[in-house]
Amino acid sequence: MLGYIFKRLLSTLPTLLLVSVGVFFLIRLIPGDPALVLLGEGADAASLAGVRADLGLDRPLPVQFLAWLEHAVRGDLGRSIVSGEPVSGLILEHFAVTAVVVLVAVTLATLIAVTAGLVAAWRQDSAIDIAVIGAATVVLALPSFWLGLLLLLLFGVKLGWLPFIGYVPFSESAVQAALFLVLPVVTLTITESGVLTRMMRASCLDVLQLDYVTHARAKGLSEATVLIRHVFPNAFAPTLTLVGLTLGHLLGGVAVIETVFTLPGLGRLMVDSVLSRDYPVVQGCLLFTAVVYVVVNLLVDLCYPIFDPRVTAR
Amino acid sequence: MLACVPVRARAEAGEPPRAPILRARLNSDLVSSDPGTRRDENTDGVLLHIVEGLVGSREDGSVGPMLASRWSISPDGRVYTFALRPEVVFHNGAPLTAAEVVWSLQRYLKPETRWRCLEVFGSHGIARVLAVKATDAHTVEVTLDRAAPMFLTTLARADCGATAILHPDSVRADGSWIAPIGTGPFQLGEWRHNQFVQLKRFPRYAALPGPRDGNIGGKHALVDELRFLVIPDTSAARAALVRGSLDVIDNLYPAELMGIRGRQDLQFQSVPILDCYTLLMQTRDPVLRDVRIRTAIALTIDATALTKAITRGTGTANNSPIPAASPFHRAAEAQLRTVDVEKARQILKASGYDGRPIQLITSRRDPQMFDAAVVIQAMAARAGVNLQIDTLDWPAHLARYTTGDYQLMVESFSPRLDPTLSFGLFIGDKRQEPRKTWDTPRARELLDEATRTADPARRQTIFDQLSLDFLEEVPAVVLFNSARLSVVRAAVTGHQNWMSAQPRLWGVGLR
Repeated sequence: MLGYIFKRLLSTLPTLLLVSVGVFFLIRLIPGDPALVLLGEGADAASLAGVRADLGLDRPLPVQFLAWLEHAVRGDLGRSIVSGEPVSGLILEHFAVTAVVVLVAVTLATLIAVTAGLVAAWRQDSAIDIAVIGAATVVLALPSFWLGLLLLLLFGVKLGWLPFIGYVPFSESAVQAALFLVLPVVTLTITESGVLTRMMRASCLDVLQLDYVTHARAKGLSEATVLIRHVFPNAFAPTLTLVGLTLGHLLGGVAVIETVFTLPGLGRLMVDSVLSRDYPVVQGCLLFTAVVYVVVNLLVDLCYPIFDPRVTAR
Repeated sequence: MLACVPVRARAEAGEPPRAPILRARLNSDLVSSDPGTRRDENTDGVLLHIVEGLVGSREDGSVGPMLASRWSISPDGRVYTFALRPEVVFHNGAPLTAAEVVWSLQRYLKPETRWRCLEVFGSHGIARVLAVKATDAHTVEVTLDRAAPMFLTTLARADCGATAILHPDSVRADGSWIAPIGTGPFQLGEWRHNQFVQLKRFPRYAALPGPRDGNIGGKHALVDELRFLVIPDTSAARAALVRGSLDVIDNLYPAELMGIRGRQDLQFQSVPILDCYTLLMQTRDPVLRDVRIRTAIALTIDATALTKAITRGTGTANNSPIPAASPFHRAAEAQLRTVDVEKARQILKASGYDGRPIQLITSRRDPQMFDAAVVIQAMAARAGVNLQIDTLDWPAHLARYTTGDYQLMVESFSPRLDPTLSFGLFIGDKRQEPRKTWDTPRARELLDEATRTADPARRQTIFDQLSLDFLEEVPAVVLFNSARLSVVRAAVTGHQNWMSAQPRLWGVGLR
């Protein structure tokens, strides 16, 4: 198992290198000058040249890349052009916010999807099935920013039950932090549950038609036992893959939701950094996201044998 | 009961009771805490609550005393002598003396400080600073290489960080920046990036007497803490205001008032400001170098209709670089170009314009810039001008503006309190500053004369002439000046914007 994990991690190195090269050069292809953004409209040429030199942006691109890569390998992703803070610290600080929201939301969405998908497939073409499919389709079609604003207006403004502007770290007040995260988590849970539900339902429908399920029923097992012990483990594997992919891309930042609820998450950090051409932060965020994606998918792969013993980690 | 005690104690002492926290919105985070260096409008606005310069801007845009109680100018106009106010102390408790003033001014003049206004004191600027010295503990003398009537105006500029006087402990031994130790009514508390900037009341602040005046007079902190919350999304900010999680939203666009206008629990304010929305024309472009084509485009633009549509009646149509709210905006500046589509067609025909596409660059950073581009495109099409809109994100837009790499561009300029600065946005040598659109010897000479002239009547004559020439030569079309729109909760007292468009939260309290 450890050898497998090591091999998988080793195989990601070329991917990360490609990501690094791509991100480094692509962000520099976008028009815009970080020095100009820092100094503002009307900055004179001498000041601009001075700031570029301060930031090391006056050196040839390959030299800049190699210097960045050399530091990145040692875990030093440089400093933010805008704030001057270390990029790795910024990423971890913002990732902590995103991770809490995403992990809780994806867990809740998975629980909802598994239950709803299983029941809908079990009662195929019934009113329950139609209701689940309808709800999942509506949820899939809802833009997350719109849903977020709607929930914000309802529970934040009209009812006044929940705070919705700002963020309190768990280290300051766990209760306050949890309250601030309720609306973003609910928004994300709803928007992500649609696709997971549809996937779970489709997988369950396939499994329910297999001979061993008929055999289990013929043995006289209760429907609950058939569903939980025989259908769920076999039907969950494809959904688990989707959960992994969803987790991977959401952990890279949920910029829209973070903007609506003013959460200082990784997505907002990345968007702000792109808009201010903060190259080190953009590079760091994307590299970090790639690592997260790889690790999450590795963890998901390692979970397969739990649900499907035919799959073994070799 | 316990919470009431300090309030009562202050009230008995004759001091107005203070509210604990006033919360205002910022649509983006500060760029830095170093005044006049790494900056934008938000940065300038927040930092001017913390720092102050020798002089500042009055309500009408003229220059008034701030940390200097008075000043004198030598007969040849080259030597400025500032007498400092002895009662002023820095946030670290140190008294303000000439030593800190000399240190601050000399720091700004070092290239490595990256002071935005350093070029104004360079070889192509208004004058070079030859010496800054303390003649006694409370007197500072600045010697220039030539007379420069714009010297004090430049020191007071918000984008120059008001040439803030800082305590040397604001930087490390190697000169790197730590945090501003200024003399303002508030001191920097906690700055949590992309979340909030907290300013704390400075209890030993020495306010100038009298009512609130620009960014100099009557600067009383009426709250214990100012908290600028970074809320990029306007819908979320409006919801927070309605809910009571926010007290002040400043600098809204007219369309953003939808849904909250008319509410009894909110106060609305609209103050004309000295900004400027403009259609820039690249006079070196193969098509637009022909003044006839530029004139034809200008003749199609109905500034009054455009302003009404875009600002929803809150802005003022204006074709002069001098904003309508400026005291220098007189009859010559008030002339609006008469729309004449038929004449535009004839001019275009005579010029040989063949309907080829002309690129019009804009940005969505400011919704009014994008809206203006759309309206201009429609208006120009009536005369057969084929404008193609290209929408860029802000850094790309800024880069194209700075390098002059465009044909037409909708641009908005932040308020300039003096007309020389307003005309300076357009006039200049394109070889050195490609962003300038008006590069004629006559315009440069007139602007140069205006910067060297102290006589108000002569200056007005020059500005009138420049305004008329601007209409004639069409290096750009000024469209309108907007209003600063604010919404505050009913419990907020004393909130009043002014034409400089900076947030001003001293003198503001909560009931």
